[in-house]
Amino acid sequence: MNLYSYILRRLLYVIPVLLGVCLIVFVIFNVVAPDPAFLLLGRHATLQQIADLHHELGMDRPFLIQYLDIVKSAFTFDFGYSWSSKQQIWEMFKAGAIPSLSITLPLFMLVNFSAISIALLVAFYRGKLIDKIVLIVSIAMMSIPSLAYILFGQWFFAYKLGWFEISGFDPSIPGFIPYVILPILLYVMISIGPDTRFYRAIILDEVYQDYVRTARAKGVSELSVMFKHVLKNAMIPILTYVIIQIPFLLLGLLLAESFFSIPGLGGMVLKAINTSDFPVIKAMTILSALGFIIFGIITDVLYTVVDPRMRLK
Amino acid sequence: MKMRNILLTVMSTTLLIFASCTKKQDTNERVLNLVSITEIKGYDPIMANDLYSGREISKIYEGLLNYHWLKVPYELQPNLAEAMPEASKDGLTYTFKIRPGIKFQDDIAFPEGKGREVLASDFVYSIKRLADSKNQAEGWWVLDGKLKGLNEWRDKNAKLPAANYDEEVEGVKATDKYTIQFKLKKVFPQFLYGLAMPYTYVVAKEAVDKYGKEFINHPVGTGPYVLPKFDQGKRIIYTKNPTFREKFYPSDSSPELKHLLADAGKRLPLVDKIIVNVMIESQPAWLKLNKGEIDTYSIPKDNFATAVKDNKLSPELINKGLALSITPMLDLTYTAFNYDNKLFQNTKLRKAMYMAFDEAKSNELFYNNTAFPAQSVIPPGIAGNIKGYINPFKGPNLEGAKKMLAEAGYPDGKGLPEITYDIADSTTSRQMAEFFQKQMEQIGIKIKVQASPWPEFLAKQKKRSLQMFGAAWGADYPDAENFLQLLYGPNASPGANSSNYNNPQFNKDFEAAVAMQDSPERTARYEKLNKFLAEDVVVMFNNHRQSYSLTQGWLRNYHYSDLNLDYVQYLNLDTAKKAELLKKF
Repeated sequence: MNLYSYILRRLLYVIPVLLGVCLIVFVIFNVVAPDPAFLLLGRHATLQQIADLHHELGMDRPFLIQYLDIVKSAFTFDFGYSWSSKQQIWEMFKAGAIPSLSITLPLFMLVNFSAISIALLVAFYRGKLIDKIVLIVSIAMMSIPSLAYILFGQWFFAYKLGWFEISGFDPSIPGFIPYVILPILLYVMISIGPDTRFYRAIILDEVYQDYVRTARAKGVSELSVMFKHVLKNAMIPILTYVIIQIPFLLLGLLLAESFFSIPGLGGMVLKAINTSDFPVIKAMTILSALGFIIFGIITDVLYTVVDPRMRLK
Repeated sequence: MKMRNILLTVMSTTLLIFASCTKKQDTNERVLNLVSITEIKGYDPIMANDLYSGREISKIYEGLLNYHWLKVPYELQPNLAEAMPEASKDGLTYTFKIRPGIKFQDDIAFPEGKGREVLASDFVYSIKRLADSKNQAEGWWVLDGKLKGLNEWRDKNAKLPAANYDEEVEGVKATDKYTIQFKLKKVFPQFLYGLAMPYTYVVAKEAVDKYGKEFINHPVGTGPYVLPKFDQGKRIIYTKNPTFREKFYPSDSSPELKHLLADAGKRLPLVDKIIVNVMIESQPAWLKLNKGEIDTYSIPKDNFATAVKDNKLSPELINKGLALSITPMLDLTYTAFNYDNKLFQNTKLRKAMYMAFDEAKSNELFYNNTAFPAQSVIPPGIAGNIKGYINPFKGPNLEGAKKMLAEAGYPDGKGLPEITYDIADSTTSRQMAEFFQKQMEQIGIKIKVQASPWPEFLAKQKKRSLQMFGAAWGADYPDAENFLQLLYGPNASPGANSSNYNNPQFNKDFEAAVAMQDSPERTARYEKLNKFLAEDVVVMFNNHRQSYSLTQGWLRNYHYSDLNLDYVQYLNLDTAKKAELLKKF
């Protein structure tokens, strides 16, 4: 199938998926979630005020109209205003995306680059001391809760040694750099263990394949085997794993944003959940779903690039 | 050799990068660094229903009255009003003269961006805006049923597409350019406290119209500071309002606060800039305080044991110049029964539960022994609190509790159904609930703990579907009415009386007492009502908390206050001392 036709077909799938997402959002809000009026009106609210607010927010309209409203916003990207902060949701999204990405983007690149490199190294030295050390260190690092890294990191590196800012954020460039280095380094430590183990397992799967043995028998150097043959063939699961992380980058890191006072999207979502700010929750759910769909398509297309045997259907 | 050189270069470069990763403080800058432990909802005065939003709003907006900064107990004083109001003999009319020449801050909402003079009509507009049902104001309760014609105006305009602000309301009128007259439906002296609350702060119609829905994010006030940009972020930066009127630091004080008179007569505000860091987590805020990066902060629960012993600061903190300020808060924590459930109409059951509960142990476990055990609903510091009063049913008294439970008809808890204790989910709430469960188990009462997220918990409370739950109430103003109303029948859920307690006799006596002017006779009535509620154990009165705040040695004029929301204008910095003390950090 032609690449463009494939992309177009996959994009058409977005329609039923989005309708389903809208239905889930609608059900969660109308059946499971508590009434936001109590939170929005405070401790002295009267029944009349609650009824007035329901009317103002459109919560007293028929269910079908409310559902269609969600569908409309999903297809027009007009998510309206936040119920609690009264800001335009797109403005909030833009304001939160930069702080979130200033941590998650470098973190994403650092962790994946380091973990794949280490995985290749230990696969090269599989069974040797270095492989065992990396394995033990990875497991040890995975066993420590992320909160412990943050608490210790803030206390030791920022407070005791004074190498970094304890918390805060400066939206200017390069003003933000001093504030993001520590959370990035800590999250590299948090994530590198499991990622290294994952990539190691994928690479080792390839290392024992027949074509690797054949390459070696033909006298191809070990470095060439690892990079030209093994890594290339391991790219399919690596791509899947790496690309699926991309939509998460925008969602930010909840714990890091909270402890380092970074005004990112993770904190925005948490605040929205705590205040039953439905328009924000709705917008983030729909945008995340779209992110997954789009990056899913990108992954499929990239498969054909790394493995020409693959065809788009 | 080559490899060693490379390593050395890499290491020294890394160290250099790290060293440049921290910003040095400029000690000559007159900047206050404060913390807000919660997100700020925004800057619309009519929505300021929590302490933290109230404090931020009060940096920019002002009202007719405020509380004297250096008086204990709290004392109202004129702020934008020229003097305290003239009250009619029947106590139904209050007439205020406002200070001439007060200006709204410069903003693009005004012609040529220049703030105009505040007039009496602006106050009338602001009051009507609070009453306008389309604004869904959280502060409407302050005026609900109080001013002549205002409820009628609200109801009538609720049906119109837009409220008619030009329509005259008898209860709130500008009688000339600088005079406002309030007419009350019935005598309610507490009305004046409402005029010191953020809900009634003056706003400019031009700004409300210009920013529409987003007015909450574009404050335009008359106060000491302005907020050039607000984006609901984690760092809020205020600068001095260049058009702020001549206002001076107080020259008189209560004896307890005489030591804060060094800046008497100086023009306010005393610092140029304020940075409020929104820090939800306590560890980073605590570390920043210990590094001299923030000027004041309450001691977090987990750091209390290392910071304070026998109400004294640790030598390490003293050496850094930090000072401890301990102030009783005007609040009450309590365990509520839902009176919709007939079970709790059994007074002896309530008394048995109260007698079984070990408040001292709870105070030790959850408040580091810093709270006062509550004996009744009105906290110390408010007229109506009975000095030295000990509630006869306050626990722990296990034998008495068992006997009382038997008298209630449930010997050793037999025949008593399991009681659900609801909490808004958090680690501390869970621990507290489990402690409560164990306490009740001692006399045979079975408690089931049910945790829900905060919005769900609140919804259940408002829908009257909880059985028992923990609650806290902080004073809106320093009058016993604000605490007694927690048990006033007509205030039942979704109002503030979340216990749904409804005793016609209490309601009647409450109504009579709150209509009286402040006097020994009214205090006696408040005391009587307070004692009645205490001995009927209408709720389990747990404790009154205290604020344990730490302040840097360079911060001047600070004392904790629940109600002086505009306190920052009085704070000052000793920059020379700051430079000196920071060397010890």
